[in-house]
This record gives sequence, structure tokens and C-alpha cells, in this order.
Amino acid sequence: MSSRASGCTRVILFTLALSGTLRAQGTLSGTVTAPSGAVVPNAKVSLKRIADGLTTETRTDSGGSYKVPDLRPGDYELSVAAEGYRPSTVTVTMVAGVNQTNDVQLRPLLSLEDLGFSAAQTRGSAEEQARLDKRSHMLKVHQRLGLITAIPLAATVITGTFAGGRATTSTTRDVHAVLGSLTAGLYFTSASFAIFAPKIPGTRVHGPIRLHKALAWIHGPGMILTPVLGAMAFAQRSRGERVHGIASAHSVVAVVTAAAYGASILSVSLKF
Amino acid sequence: MTFLLLSALTLIQTPSQWVLDSSTLRFHVSHPLHQVDGVSHAARGRGVCQARSCVFLIAVPIKSFDSGDSNRDLHMLQTTRGGQFPIVTVRTQLPEGATRSDTVYADLEIEFAGQTAHYARVPFHVVMDGDEARVSGTIPATISDFKIDRPTLLTIPIKNEIPVYVESTWHREK
Repeated sequence: MSSRASGCTRVILFTLALSGTLRAQGTLSGTVTAPSGAVVPNAKVSLKRIADGLTTETRTDSGGSYKVPDLRPGDYELSVAAEGYRPSTVTVTMVAGVNQTNDVQLRPLLSLEDLGFSAAQTRGSAEEQARLDKRSHMLKVHQRLGLITAIPLAATVITGTFAGGRATTSTTRDVHAVLGSLTAGLYFTSASFAIFAPKIPGTRVHGPIRLHKALAWIHGPGMILTPVLGAMAFAQRSRGERVHGIASAHSVVAVVTAAAYGASILSVSLKF
Repeated sequence: MTFLLLSALTLIQTPSQWVLDSSTLRFHVSHPLHQVDGVSHAARGRGVCQARSCVFLIAVPIKSFDSGDSNRDLHMLQTTRGGQFPIVTVRTQLPEGATRSDTVYADLEIEFAGQTAHYARVPFHVVMDGDEARVSGTIPATISDFKIDRPTLLTIPIKNEIPVYVESTWHREK
């Protein structure tokens, strides 16, 4: 009887001890992902108990998840390896009876540093992007205003053919002058957007833009000279005089200016 | 964007690395008034072969592309957010025995303009010469894949398709 009682006692004690041990164990689980956020299936997960070197291995499932149960409290080395990625190793401390989650994001096997790019080369700059954005915006306004300016410019040239000579009326000259003033106003507004657009350091200027900029040295001064000479010619005609002296160069300067302006538009619109 | 290919059977079975020696990358932009090609020779690349596959990384600075017009290149830099994301990268992984022919089909992961796009089974022609490999092909990239606003000229936008032609030469490091 007593032996049976002691046997039962031993079973009970063993069961109590076992349940206590089990309650002290925990489960480590987690998800393994790539830098893009995609899960990494079939990654090798190794968990080595630092105290005695006991290692448990498993693999992630199709959802990139792993689970290692029945872990005693203590420090572990969690290692994750998958093809195409650098192995990852972290230390995990298991606490008695506590299940833990440890997600792992793997790094690519190759990085830009492996290709010889410095951090400065690969690092972007919001400031530089802002400068590029401002430059593009201003040049876009310059382009649109420049195209719009071509309309009153053409109208000014056309009315100019009727504004000179003895048989013209003051109305014709007035219309020509107003169109000319409108053209000049739009022109200098457009030009200001191009002149004050941010410059990008380290850029070598080449291609059709060089011709476009060179032509500005013709139509720019021409746009100043043409209205000046035009005002002189207007005054002479208003006094009943023939257009004479330097004022007579008004039409030639205007035509050259208009031609340079047209060529400037074509230089960046068409491929020659 | 450069992409390299290696004859998988030859190099994957032996642990090795591949290094990009030279490359020509050419993107093509279509507009009713202009056909533009931008060229870069500044790509860098490397491949690492493990037990059952080779992993490749190729990268090229966006600023290195030259279309023959600096104004256009700066506009391209701005449009593609090159100030914030100055490098284009291409990653791929070829499984063991990917091909035994002269044409390899690769799945590409491309990071450009702050976006990531995937292109499946892009064909590349490979010519092996000892430890040297010449790889050529075309990546069927589009502007919309990278959420880039289509630039315009005289209010007319360019085409969405911007194919990238690739020619590259690699050598194996032992």
C-alpha cells in the first residue's frame, strides 16, 4: 500500500514538475521579409541557445513565417539565411512562459557600396530636387510666354508694313504701336523667367540650347532698340515729317529681331 | 539601366563573382517632333553566385545619361526626380540551369524615380567567351510604371514607352 502511495506521489510530483517546466517555456515566432516588404519563404532559421550551444533549426513557410516552440528562458542567437540575401543574426532573450515575436528583414546580398558608389553619390537631396523643380517650372512659363509672344510679334510686323509711308493713317500707326508695346511687355516677362531660372552647378551646356541662348543676344538688344527707334519714327510721322535719320532703321531692326526670335523658337522645337 | 546576363549553367555551378567591365545603356523617347536617345556608359554591376543561383545588381547614375542637349537632360533629371533618387538600380536572380541556350529570360526588379517596377521574362542575348560574357537586350520600360509625369514639348506629351537598350560586357572573378 505504501509503495503504491509513494508511486502515485512520484507520478503527481513528476507531473507537477513537468507542467511547471512547460509553463516556463516559450515560443519564438516571426516573419522574414525582403527590403521591398515581400515575404521570404523557405528561409533557414537557426536558434542557438548561447548557454550550451543547443541549436534548433526550421524554415519559413510560404508566408515567410517561422515558429520555434518549447524554448527555455535564456539568451539565444537567432540566425536567418536565404539565397540572394545577407545572413542576419540577432540576440533574443526568452523570458519564462512568454511567447515572443521577432520579425527579421533581410538585406540584399549586393549593395550600392559593393559597386563602388559612395554615400554622397547615392544619397538624394530634396534641396537639389527643389532647385530642379523651380528651374523646370520657370522654363516652362518662359516657353509658354515665349510662344504667346510670337502672336502679337507677328501682328506687329504685319501692321508695320502698313504703318510706314506717307499714305498711312494715325489709327494704323496707333495700332502698330500698341501691338509693339504688348509684344515688348510679354517678351521681357518671358525673358525674365529664363534669366532668373536657377542654374544647376556642374552642368556643361551643349546641344541646341546653345543656339537658342546665342540668338537671344540678337533679339534681346533688338527688342530694346526696336521700340526706341519706333517711338522716334512715330514722333516724326506725328509731326508730319518723313521718317528720317536713325529712326529709319526701325523697320530693319524690327525684322531682324523678329527673324532671330522665330529662329530661337525653332532651334528648340525642331531637330535640325 | 543595365542588366547583365550570364550563362547560368557555366557560372552558377561554380562559386564565383561577375563584374561589369563596360556597358552602353540607351533610353529612347518618342515625340511627334523629336526622337531622342539618351546614352550612358557609367553603369556599374556585380554578380554573386551561390549554391543554386546568381544574384546581380547593376546601378547607373541618372545624371550620366546624355541626349545631346543639356537643357533636355536637366529637364529629364527633374522629371524623373533625379535630385532625390540619383541612382537607377536593377536587381535580378537567376536560378540554377536558367538556360542552356543563348537567350536568357530574366525577371527584373528596377528602382527608378523612387518607384520599384518588376518586369518578367525579359529576354537577353548572351555570348560567352571563356570568362567573358557579352549581354544585350531591351528592357520594355514605360513612364507610367514609375509614376513619372509625361514631359511635353509645345504642349504635346511624349509617348509612354521608353525602351532601354542594353549592351554590356562582363568578366568572371575567381
